[in-house]
Amino acid sequence: MSENKIVELAKEKALVLDCGKSLKSIKTAYTTYGKLNAAKDNAILICHALTGDQYVASNHPITKKEGWWSYIVGPEKPIDTNKFFVVCPNVIGGCMGSTGPKEVNSETGKEYGTDFPVITIADMVRAQKLLIDYLGIEKIFCVTGGSMGGMLVLEWLSKFPDMVHSAIPIATATNHSAQNIALNELARQSIMADPNWNSGKYYNSDNKPLKGLSVARMAAHISYLSKDALHSKFGRNLQDKNSLDYSFDADFQIESYLRHQGFTFVDRFDANSYLYITRAMDYFDVSSSNNGSLIESFKNTSSKVLCISFTSDWLYPTSENKKIVKVFNTLGINVSFIEIETDGGHDSFLLEEPKLFEAMQGFIKSTYENL
Amino acid sequence: MSLINEKKDFKIIADLIPAKSSVIDVGCNDGSLLEFLKEEKNIDGRGMEIDQQKVQLCLSKGISVIEGDADLDLYDYPDNLFDYSILTYTLQATKSPKNVLSELVRISGKAIISFPNFGHWKIASSLLLKRKMPISEKLSYSWHETPNLHFCTINDFIDLCDEAGIRIEKQANLKTNKLNKFNGKNLLNSYFNEVGLFLVSKIKN
Repeated sequence: MSENKIVELAKEKALVLDCGKSLKSIKTAYTTYGKLNAAKDNAILICHALTGDQYVASNHPITKKEGWWSYIVGPEKPIDTNKFFVVCPNVIGGCMGSTGPKEVNSETGKEYGTDFPVITIADMVRAQKLLIDYLGIEKIFCVTGGSMGGMLVLEWLSKFPDMVHSAIPIATATNHSAQNIALNELARQSIMADPNWNSGKYYNSDNKPLKGLSVARMAAHISYLSKDALHSKFGRNLQDKNSLDYSFDADFQIESYLRHQGFTFVDRFDANSYLYITRAMDYFDVSSSNNGSLIESFKNTSSKVLCISFTSDWLYPTSENKKIVKVFNTLGINVSFIEIETDGGHDSFLLEEPKLFEAMQGFIKSTYENL
Repeated sequence: MSLINEKKDFKIIADLIPAKSSVIDVGCNDGSLLEFLKEEKNIDGRGMEIDQQKVQLCLSKGISVIEGDADLDLYDYPDNLFDYSILTYTLQATKSPKNVLSELVRISGKAIISFPNFGHWKIASSLLLKRKMPISEKLSYSWHETPNLHFCTINDFIDLCDEAGIRIEKQANLKTNKLNKFNGKNLLNSYFNEVGLFLVSKIKN
């Protein structure tokens, strides 16, 4: 188990962001597991997804549920905490203790709200690098993460290639497609349509934009699942009733399930953070600083990479992940690729998927043995 | 597909490859040939394999491997990325052997190809005398369950290379374990070699 830690970095020199503004005294909340060895060659950095956080393998303080990747991270697991020093930071813009819209701006004494600068995936990685430097790690043994976490992994490989020995980007893409952006825009509009959102100024109000955030989560949740999984789990089954109500109550189980997903989400997530992080994902294009050339973007990468996709993931489909593989192949990078067959949809990287377990364990173990 | 004498075949392939070459083994199975070549010739190796369980095995051995299909995924590699490509006992299971061969000599300077020889006397006599599709150690499946789509003889292969603009540089005789400079079709080779093993390259225009 790891205690949550918070460190304040960039105290002297502000971090310049992609948007042109800069952030000073950046707080990063993070957890660590295991011990950094004397050679400092056993660090694994885990990058969380849109609504993830630093509680990767320890109980969540709000939901009390076990860590979001407890299946993969722990003693004797693929990311073996007996062997590796695991670091998992909450991204900036997040809402679990790292600098973000719900934190107080020291210059004004008030919460940032929408005064928080629009950040990018690259900015999140720049902040993560400050943490890695602070922890005294010169070369990370492995950087991994799924979905937005995978984007952070790609950004690490592109911007700090010498600091990454190996990497496992999972169910991700080199940029957001129009469909990805559309879904995020739907989520943002539902938050901003909630009158309680109040242009992002709701932190001191009793009325928070919970309905908007809840609908945003419901829409997103659909995109994480496959049609087959939804069908086999819920079908057209009715919720606690034998016949249709001829009303707008939750007649179907799927409606009730989605409502539950929405309601429980708002307890642990901040609406403004949702806006900022989805924006960062939409802006993401790992090749943007190289005029759109992926080859240029990864030309200095020499890490060993394992790309993983899932057959039923339509949000970040295999074709997007294979694009990454193709670029790495072209550059002669030591890249492996595996497509896991499952009906679990995009969420598969968070599920108990034995083939994911096996692939990660095989890759991490053999790569560390050959270090 | 299992080999009669894996080590012997491996050795002949290793003899064809200079030290420190970059190599892709297409249909790399559990990665044992790549491991052998790493040990013998310190190659920089990559694998491609269609069977996911074998991909997992390669990953656990530290081999860089792409889960992929020779018919579909070779197009993703740029010209001359590798010094050598290897295709052992896979050609006959591809949908389009000609395209696969052309792709292999496109992505690598030279290609090493091996396949079961359908012209071997035992196979030919099974057809001729028993009127049955042959089953042997190299061709171990019944006709109705075989993954093999395109059987060929050594002579057929030579003709295909000719048609595809591919030069045959060397031919192995796995009976005598010798690599010979290719001197055109030879009836004895086609009769008595259970396996055809060739070193080929693209004819440059």
